[in-house]
Amino acid sequence: MGNKIQLPFPVVLCAALLLPGAAGFTPSLDSDFTFTLPAGQKECFYQPMPLKASLEIEYQVLDGAGLDIDFHLASPEGRTLVFEQRKSDGVHTIETEVGDYMFCFDNTFSTISEKVIFFELILDNMGEQEREQEDWKKYITGTDMLDMKLEDILESINSIKSRLSKSGHIQTLLRAFEARDRNIQESNFDRVNFWSMVNLVVMVVVSAIQVYMLKSLFEDKRKSRT
Amino acid sequence: MAGVAAGRRRAMGLRALLLFALCAAGARGLYFHIGETEKRCFIEEIPDETMVIGNYRTQMWDKQKEVFLPSTPGLGMHVEVKDPEGKVVLSRQYGSEGRFTFTSHTPGDHQICLHSNSTRMTLFAGGRLRVHLDIQAGEHANNYPEIAAKDKLTELQLRARQLLDQVEQIQKEQDYQRYREERFRLTSESTNQRVLWWSIAQTVILILTGIWQMRHLKSFFEAKKLV
Repeated sequence: MGNKIQLPFPVVLCAALLLPGAAGFTPSLDSDFTFTLPAGQKECFYQPMPLKASLEIEYQVLDGAGLDIDFHLASPEGRTLVFEQRKSDGVHTIETEVGDYMFCFDNTFSTISEKVIFFELILDNMGEQEREQEDWKKYITGTDMLDMKLEDILESINSIKSRLSKSGHIQTLLRAFEARDRNIQESNFDRVNFWSMVNLVVMVVVSAIQVYMLKSLFEDKRKSRT
Repeated sequence: MAGVAAGRRRAMGLRALLLFALCAAGARGLYFHIGETEKRCFIEEIPDETMVIGNYRTQMWDKQKEVFLPSTPGLGMHVEVKDPEGKVVLSRQYGSEGRFTFTSHTPGDHQICLHSNSTRMTLFAGGRLRVHLDIQAGEHANNYPEIAAKDKLTELQLRARQLLDQVEQIQKEQDYQRYREERFRLTSESTNQRVLWWSIAQTVILILTGIWQMRHLKSFFEAKKLV
C-alpha cells in the first residue's frame, strides 16, 4: 500500500489539455466579430458565462440600406433582457448568472438589403479563466536582479499595458465608425452617378417626345382641313 | 483504515473535479449554430503584415440523447480566407477541431468563411452543428508562454516585449487608419465635384434644349403657314 496517488486517465488528459498549444483552446476575454447578415435572416450567437461576471456587448451596423437591425438578448432561462428594434448601434452591460446567454441580430424586416454587423463582447470578472490567462508566469526563466525597484517597475508596466489595451479598444471602435461612414459615402457616390445618368436620359427623351407630339397634333389638323 | 482510504478517494475525486472544471473553463467561448450546407463568413479588417489566428471546435447534436456530443469524429470544416481584392489566401479542410493562421499582405477587409464538409445527409439528423469560434489578430495572436520559453525571458523582459508588441500593433492600425481616411476623403471630394459639375451641365442642357425646341417649333409653324 504505497503512498503514491495514481491519477486517473481523465485527469491526466485534462492536464495535457491545459498545456499551451495542445488541442482545445482558451478563448480570450474580449472578442469582436464582423459578419454579413443576408436579407430576411436572423443569426444568433451564444456566450457561456459564470456567476456574477459582467457581459458587455456593443454592436454597430456598418453597411446596408437603412443601417438598422433588430437586436435581442436573452438570459439562459430564455427571458428577454434586451429587445431593440431598427437601431443602428447599441451597447449593453449586464451582470450574469450561470449559463449560456443568447443574442440575436434580426434582419427579417428587410427584403433586399444585406447588412454588415460588427459586435464586440467584453467579459469581466470571469474568475478562474482570468487566472488561467496569467499562466504565462509559470513559463518564464531566471530572475531579475533589482528586487527592490522591481515592484515599482512592474506596477508601472502593468498600468501601461492596461492603458494600451484601452487604446486598442478605442481604435477598434473608431475603426467601426469609420467603416460605416466610408460605406455611406461610397453608396452616395454610386447613387449620384446613377441618378445623374438617369436624369440626362430622361431630359433628352422628354424634350424629344414633347416636340414630336406637338408636331403630330398639327399634322392631324392639316389632314382634316383638306 | 477504511476511513483513511475513503478520505484519500474523496480528495482525489475533488482534485479530478477541480481539474475537470478548469478544463470546462477552457471550453467557455462564443458559439453559434450552423446548418449542414450553410456557410458563415466573418470579416476582419486588419492592417498589412498582421497575423490572424482562428480557433474553432465543433459539437454535433445527438437527436436521441438531446444533447450536444463533446466531439464529432469524421466531421471536418472547410475554412476559406479571402483578401481585400478577393484573392483566396487560405483554403483548407480541417478536422472537427482546428486552428488556422494567416498573415495579411494587403490592408483591408479579409473574409473568413467556414462551412462543414459533410456530404452525407444522415450525419446531420437534427440539422444543427455547434461551432465554438475565436479569432484573434495582431498582438493578441502571440503566444507569450511560448515566446518566454523560447527566448528565455525574465518577467520584466516579457512584460516589456508585450508592451512593445502592443504599441507596434496600435501604430500599424493608425497608419492603416490614415490610408483609409485618405481614400474616404478622395471619394467625398470626387462626389462633391460630380454633384457640382452635373448641376451646371443640367442647367446648360435645359437652356439649350429650350432654345432648340422653340426654334424648331417656330420653323415648323412657319412652314405650316400658321404664324
